[in-house]
Amino acid sequence: MRCLVGYTADGRGAEAIALAAALGGPGAHLDLAIVLPEHTPFSAVYPGGDHGYSSILAETVAAWADEALALVPDGLTARVLARAVSSPAEGLIALAQETGAQVIVLGGRKRHVAGFFAPGSVASALLHSSPVPVAMGSPEAVASLEAAAGRLSRVTVLVGNRAGHKAVVRAGAEAAAAQDLPLRVVSLLAQDDLPSGWALHQAVESTQAAVAGLVTELGIDADVTVASGGSLDEAISDLAWLPGEVAVVGSSRLARKRRLFLGPTAQRMLRTLPVPLVVVPKSYKPASARNEGTPT
Amino acid sequence: MSVRADRPAVPESGLSEKGLSKGTVGVLGAVVIGISCIAPAYTLTAALGPTVAEVGTQLPAVFIAGFLPMLLVALGYRELNRAMPDSGTSFTWATRAFGPWIGWMGGWGLVAATIIVLSNLAAVAVDFFYLLIAQMTGNDGIADLTTNLWVNIPTTLVFLGVACWISYRGMEATKSFQYVLVTFQLVVLTWFAVSAFFHVNNGTAFDATPVSLDWFNPLEVSSFSAFAAGISLSIFIFWGWDVTLTMNEETTNPEKVPGRAATLTVLVIMGIYMICSLAVIAYAGVGTTGLGAGNPDNQESMFAVLAEPIMGPFAILMSLAILSSSAASLQSTLVSPARTMLAMSYYKALPPSLSRISPRFMSPSVATIVAGAVSGAFYVVTRLLSENALWDTITALGLMICFYYGVTALACVWYFRREAFSSVRSFLLKLLAPLVGGVILIVMLVSTARDSMDPDYGSGSSVAGVGTVFILGVGVLLLGAVIMVVMRVRHPGFFKGETIKRLR
Repeated sequence: MRCLVGYTADGRGAEAIALAAALGGPGAHLDLAIVLPEHTPFSAVYPGGDHGYSSILAETVAAWADEALALVPDGLTARVLARAVSSPAEGLIALAQETGAQVIVLGGRKRHVAGFFAPGSVASALLHSSPVPVAMGSPEAVASLEAAAGRLSRVTVLVGNRAGHKAVVRAGAEAAAAQDLPLRVVSLLAQDDLPSGWALHQAVESTQAAVAGLVTELGIDADVTVASGGSLDEAISDLAWLPGEVAVVGSSRLARKRRLFLGPTAQRMLRTLPVPLVVVPKSYKPASARNEGTPT
Repeated sequence: MSVRADRPAVPESGLSEKGLSKGTVGVLGAVVIGISCIAPAYTLTAALGPTVAEVGTQLPAVFIAGFLPMLLVALGYRELNRAMPDSGTSFTWATRAFGPWIGWMGGWGLVAATIIVLSNLAAVAVDFFYLLIAQMTGNDGIADLTTNLWVNIPTTLVFLGVACWISYRGMEATKSFQYVLVTFQLVVLTWFAVSAFFHVNNGTAFDATPVSLDWFNPLEVSSFSAFAAGISLSIFIFWGWDVTLTMNEETTNPEKVPGRAATLTVLVIMGIYMICSLAVIAYAGVGTTGLGAGNPDNQESMFAVLAEPIMGPFAILMSLAILSSSAASLQSTLVSPARTMLAMSYYKALPPSLSRISPRFMSPSVATIVAGAVSGAFYVVTRLLSENALWDTITALGLMICFYYGVTALACVWYFRREAFSSVRSFLLKLLAPLVGGVILIVMLVSTARDSMDPDYGSGSSVAGVGTVFILGVGVLLLGAVIMVVMRVRHPGFFKGETIKRLR
C-alpha cells in the first residue's frame, strides 16, 4: 500500500507518520510530502531580496526530511518529497495522483477551543476536494494506535440511514482484507434525523436489513450492527472501540463524483471519535479496481 | 533495519528552483513590482515635508540628484547578486568582502533601516486610517484621534501585529492585487498634481508660486549640509527601485527585462515625483504659515494637509491610496528584517532561536515576531520622545539607508577588486559605480549625522541637548555595535569565520 503523508516537522507530522504506518501495515510505502508555499514574484521582498532564505530553507527542509525518515517504523519503505505548491491541499492531491497513493494521511486535528477536534485549514480543504481517501489522526487516535502497538485491530465502516454507501463499505472491506482484519459495519441512527412518523425501532430493523443485504451482495464477511440514540452524538457515544481500531466514513451526497466532501454527519463524528478516521470519496473505487499502475 | 529505498539528502524537487514561478514576469509586471516596492504615495507624503524643510524650492533638483547614488549603488548590488545569488543580503556580502565585523554591522544597518521604516509605515497608515474614517463619516474630530497617544500607539501596534501575523502565515500579495494598488496610486497622485495646477491657474492656490528653472538647480540649495540632508532623504524615496534590477530568473527574458523595467520604473517614478513636488510647491509655496510647504505643522505628512484643499471631496481617494500602499508595504517590508535576522542567526551571528522556521508556514517564526515587536517598541519610544516622530524617523531612516547601502557598495568594490580591471564593463560596474555611489553615501551619512547633533535639526526635537535624529540614527548603530560585542563574547563562531568565510 502506498500512503502519501502530509508531513510537517512537528507533533502533527509525527502523528501522521504513526497513523500512516498503521494504516499501511507491514511492507507499506510512505511518501512523506513536505509542501512549501510557492513564492510569487509579485510579492517582492524589499529591501534585500531573498536574503539567502531559500538556501537556508532548503537546508532546514533537508534536516526535517532526515528527522521524518527516522520516524518511519522498521519494515516500511519511505522517501521524502518536498515541493513548492500554490496551495498545500492542491499540492498534496497532485502528489497523491503522481505517486499513485491510495490514501492521504494527515496529522492531528487541531484541538478546538471547546474541547472538540476540528480539522485545520489544509485538512478542511482536502476533506472537501480530495479524489483519494483522506485519513486523519488526533493525539487521542495516536494513543489508541500506540495501545495496539501501532497495528490496526479492526476496521469500522460508519454508514447513515440513507442509500449510497456501497463505495464506502467496499473501501472499508478492502482495507480490512489487505491486513486481514475483522470488519464491522455500523449504521448510525438518530431519532432527530428520522422522517416524522417513523419509530426508531422500525428504522433500526429496516436499516439493519439493508446493510446486511449490501454486505451479502458484496460477498464480504462483516459484523453488522446499528448504533442508535436520540441524537447522532448519543448514537456515536453508544459505540465501543478497540485499541487500534480505525473508522471509515463516506462523503456527503453533495460531493462530486469521485471527490471527497465531508458531510455534516462526518464532520460531527470527526470532532468526537477517539480513533483515526478515514474519509472516502463518493463512488470511490479502490486502486485494485482501477488500472493506474504505480510509478517507480 | 528498515529499507529506505531512496533517501535523498536534498529533497527531490522544487527547492533547487527556489519555488519561484520561472519566467512569468514581463517588463510591465517588473515595473509594477518596482513601483509597489517604492510605494510612491507613501514615500511622497512622508518625505516631501522633511525634504522641503531642508532644501526649500530646490526639491525637484534634490530628488533628481538623490537618484544618482541610488543608481550607482544598485549597479554594484546587481553584480553582487549575480556573483552570489544564493546569499543575497548585505550581511553575507559584506562579511565575504570585509570579514565578520563590518559584515555584522552591514546586516544590522539593514535590519535597523527596515525596523525604522516599519514603525514609520505603520504610523502613516494609522494617520490615514483615521483621516479616511473622518472623511467617510464627515466627522473631522475622528482625524484628530491620531494625535491622542492613547489611541495612536495602540492602533499602530495593532497594525504592526496584523502585518506580523500575515507575514508569519506566509501570505503573499498576488499579481492582481499589486496591479490594482499600483495603478490606483499613480492615478490618485496624478489627479492630485493636475488639480493643484488647476488651482494655480485659476488663482485659487494657497500661495501660487511660479515654477522656475532654479528649482532644478542643485547648486541653488543654501548649504552643503542642507544638500546632504536632502540627498539622504531622497535616497529613501527611491528605496525599492533596485528590486527591478536584481530580478532575474522570474522574468521572461533575464537579458533584457530587468534593464528595461528598471529604466521604465525610474521614468515613471521620476515623472510622478516631479509633477507632485512641482505641484506642491506651485500650489502651497514654501512659506511657513497656513498651508505652506515650509510650515513645520504640515511637514510630517504633506498629503494629509494638502489633499483636502486641492482635491476637495476626492481627497478621500488620496487617504485610501496612502493607507493601502503603506499597509501593503508594511507587510512586505516586515519579511526583510525577519529574513536578515534569520540569516544572521543561521550563520551564528545572532542567538540561535532567531533561525527557527515554522514547519507549517515555512516562514521565519521567531524572527518575524521579534522584528514586529522591536519596530513596535521603537515606535513607542520615538513617539514618547518626540512630538514629530514621523519626521524624525524618516530622517533617521535616511541615515540608516546611507549606512548599509554605503557598506554594501564598498563591499562590492572590495569583493571584485581583482577582476575589476579585466574589462571596461567590469571596471565601470564593479568598481567605479559602486565606489562613487558608496563614497557619496558615506559622505552624506557623516555630514547628516554631524549636523543632526544640533538640537534644532530636523523637526527640532531633542533629548538632553542632542537632536533626536542623532540619538535615533547613531544610537541605533551604537546599540548594534554593543550587541555585536556581546555576540562575539557569547557565540564567537561567526566572528572566527567558522560559518562564513571571508574571501581574501
